[in-house]
Amino acid sequence: MDKTIALMAVLTILVVLPTIQLVFAAGTDAHEYVNRKVEIWNLFFKMMTIAFTVGAVVSGTLIWLVWRFRESNPNAKPTKYEGTDW
Amino acid sequence: MSGHSNWPEWIYVGVVIVLLAYVGAEAWNVERLVDRAPAEAEVIKVIGQQWFWTFEHADGTKEVGELHIKKGHAYKFEITTKDVNHAFNIHDYVVLQDAVAGRINEVWFAPDKAGEFPIQCREYCGLLHYNMRGTLIVEE
Repeated sequence: MDKTIALMAVLTILVVLPTIQLVFAAGTDAHEYVNRKVEIWNLFFKMMTIAFTVGAVVSGTLIWLVWRFRESNPNAKPTKYEGTDW
Repeated sequence: MSGHSNWPEWIYVGVVIVLLAYVGAEAWNVERLVDRAPAEAEVIKVIGQQWFWTFEHADGTKEVGELHIKKGHAYKFEITTKDVNHAFNIHDYVVLQDAVAGRINEVWFAPDKAGEFPIQCREYCGLLHYNMRGTLIVEE
């Protein structure tokens, strides 16, 4: 049930986001032309913000993972797949 | 696997899907805004050849090396070439489109500032490519 709700939420967001984009874009007056420079640079800045944020989260997670589960970590415990002569 | 929760994975998957959806929607929307010329846009034919630009207005008026247009109006460029490939570029208005033999490529813009702006070729087109320049003159 919970998974169904989560899946529905994701699907809703997938549909709702593009729709909101469309609705906002439709408000452009016929004589207020888009400024190419503004639109293109704004898109660039948004994409860079997302890219660097995701990059920081992913690389941070990996660095933490490697550090936390290194063999020399006193807290590291062998899994059942790694034998018994630890 | 008792005592193990999959929720972090599901949240991660959800966040990735939402981000991708947002990125896709945003990029698609900007591309749509930038690509589609308004119906009232005046068509200007742009012909590139080694090593100058020729412009033909809707009323048949031709200009070479200079293009006179009006501020606040929308213009659609129909760009082609008579010889090798060129690229039509008005740097200050972020207008850039290839001029390819046998094709008519389109790009539109609406100048919001009066003044003179450089036009240049942005595809290496031979010995005098560096000098394949023009001037965009936007009048009030």
